[in-house]
Amino acid sequence: MRCLVIEDDPVIAGHIVGGLGAAGIEATWAANAAQGLARGREGAFDSVVLDRLLPDGNGIDLLRTWRRHGPVPPVLMLSALGSVKDRIDGLESGADDYLAKPFHMAELVARLNAIARRAPLREGGDVAVRAVGRLRLDPSRHAACFGAASVELNRKLYSLLAHLMLHADRLVTRDMLLEHVWGYSFSPGTNIVESNMSRLRTRLQDLGIDPILTRRGEGYVLLAGACR
Amino acid sequence: MEQAARWPGAGRIFFLFGGVFALAMVLMGSVVFVVVERTVAMRIDADLLHHEGKFLRVPSGRAATSDEVAARIRDWQARKITSERTYSLFAPDGRLVAGRLYLRPQPGLSDVMFLGGGRTWQRGRALAERLRDGSLFVIVQHSETAASLRALLLPLVLATFVAALAAGLGATWLFAHLTARRLAATGATADAIAEAGDLSRRVPMHGLDGMFARQAESLNRMLDRMESLVETQRHFASALAHDLRTPLTRLSTLLTPDITGDEERLRHAIEAGMRECGGIIAIFDALLRLAEIEGGRHGGAMVDLSLDAVVEDVAETMEPVIADAGGTLLRGPMQSAAIHGDPGLITQLLVNLLQNVATHTPAGTCARLSLTRQADDVVLVLADNGPGLPHADRARVLRPFERGAGAADRRGSGLGLSIAQAIVRFHRGRIDLVDTGPGLEVRITFPAVVVV
Repeated sequence: MRCLVIEDDPVIAGHIVGGLGAAGIEATWAANAAQGLARGREGAFDSVVLDRLLPDGNGIDLLRTWRRHGPVPPVLMLSALGSVKDRIDGLESGADDYLAKPFHMAELVARLNAIARRAPLREGGDVAVRAVGRLRLDPSRHAACFGAASVELNRKLYSLLAHLMLHADRLVTRDMLLEHVWGYSFSPGTNIVESNMSRLRTRLQDLGIDPILTRRGEGYVLLAGACR
Repeated sequence: MEQAARWPGAGRIFFLFGGVFALAMVLMGSVVFVVVERTVAMRIDADLLHHEGKFLRVPSGRAATSDEVAARIRDWQARKITSERTYSLFAPDGRLVAGRLYLRPQPGLSDVMFLGGGRTWQRGRALAERLRDGSLFVIVQHSETAASLRALLLPLVLATFVAALAAGLGATWLFAHLTARRLAATGATADAIAEAGDLSRRVPMHGLDGMFARQAESLNRMLDRMESLVETQRHFASALAHDLRTPLTRLSTLLTPDITGDEERLRHAIEAGMRECGGIIAIFDALLRLAEIEGGRHGGAMVDLSLDAVVEDVAETMEPVIADAGGTLLRGPMQSAAIHGDPGLITQLLVNLLQNVATHTPAGTCARLSLTRQADDVVLVLADNGPGLPHADRARVLRPFERGAGAADRRGSGLGLSIAQAIVRFHRGRIDLVDTGPGLEVRITFPAVVVV
């Protein structure tokens, strides 16, 4: 995967480029909006990390200009402005995800992977993945099925499993789950994800599988290999 | 104090009042003058007409002939020596037939001048009427009483005017003085607060009543509110500093040089350090959120939403959290109820409240969420059978960074209930903490919306 990083702060940019490299993502750095736009239009990138505030303009305007001239790869907007309203503005301007500074590198990589993967599905609209290996979802009964066995889930656990299955084999962070499964725009300082995840894990163990891997301090991965 | 107690002068209002009062007095004097004049004049005219009737009609109702009128005049002259009236009858050729006064005014009522007793000119009122044969009947009335009344009237009105004006100005001055004295106390209090910033001062209420008492009361209420706001701010800053000191101290303890070298200890220290940083960031996130909600800048949209659906949804999410903390979350009774609100905020409100149950009650606590319609309100109750809160803590825990005395640990941002309260206020609702001994009941009332 190739990623364009448009960020004016050299320390943060170096940190991002290095972190993406370590995660196997080839990153190119642009230090301002003009450079970012030029690089973006000449090179074929799979994703963009875009700082909202740049010395020669802001990320939202850059995105608008870029979009007028052609297709834009999935964009993760970075900002020191972390309020819900700033976030809504960023997403409405066409960014695919929004991450407030300070952030963890793992969070950035996970989100970038998620939006880059989502890209080809965007046109289709239906992003639901119904099966990973022998693990299937049955939307009519809100149930998870593994082979002949099945277990019913409440709405939250069902959505949680569906989201993990959509991103099978990729890291999904706690904040990503709060945003996408729960739709919370605030950070509940509580173990909502942990407690619900442990419930889901227990349910899946009833089916005889345990495919959810916890990466301490980072997030969760649903291992497709464990669902065979 | 001395400066404030000094008579500050009533200012323009005193002269304005005085001027208006004097004008009113002049107007009143003129009215009295005119009314008295007119009344006297009308009396005289009515008299003249009455006496004319007596002379020009015989008892049977027929008009008297000029001979009969002349006879009556002579008869009247013989009987009356002095009178304020004199009667005359002139023949059609202008000759004086009866009476003594040779004065021939136009028919009808008119003012005349005549020589009284042949020596002095006097003013009088005359009524002349032409009889059928062309003779002219004249009554002239010179009223001594009317004349002396007129002479008296002008000085009387003037004297009254001057006396009333003096009294009026005096009263105005006194009123202004008393008003100023009452306002001086308010001014002194305001000055003291402005100069020394002493918000504990209040406007003294003794000696005040009516509108002054009401004004002082409302000023004092404003000062109460300001004092509590300033107190909250002061407390907020010191509490924030205190709350940040704890994780920062722990963080600096973790970052000691002796952790280097040992891979395992280093990894452990980094993890613990990240947790502390996460805690600090969470405090700031919560602070920003609180400021957003209190300022109405939280970014959500207000819609008619069914509260029971939101409650069910959050309960489903939080039930495992409470279960992991060793508690139980029950639901019911749940009536369907709609409110006008921001779904994101209402969700956060419920999450915060249930999080408190998970964090601040001992294992084995059972909490129950219920939703009922009461008249025009929707009442959401979260009751638990935990240890409850002492009365003194109940108002306190709603303030930022305040925790119940029993909360031994300092987990959480300390802002959960402040945010909950801000959300409830934003929705024009009310939050009450009630001790149910044992246990705590959080009762939230929202105005209901009727969804058609």
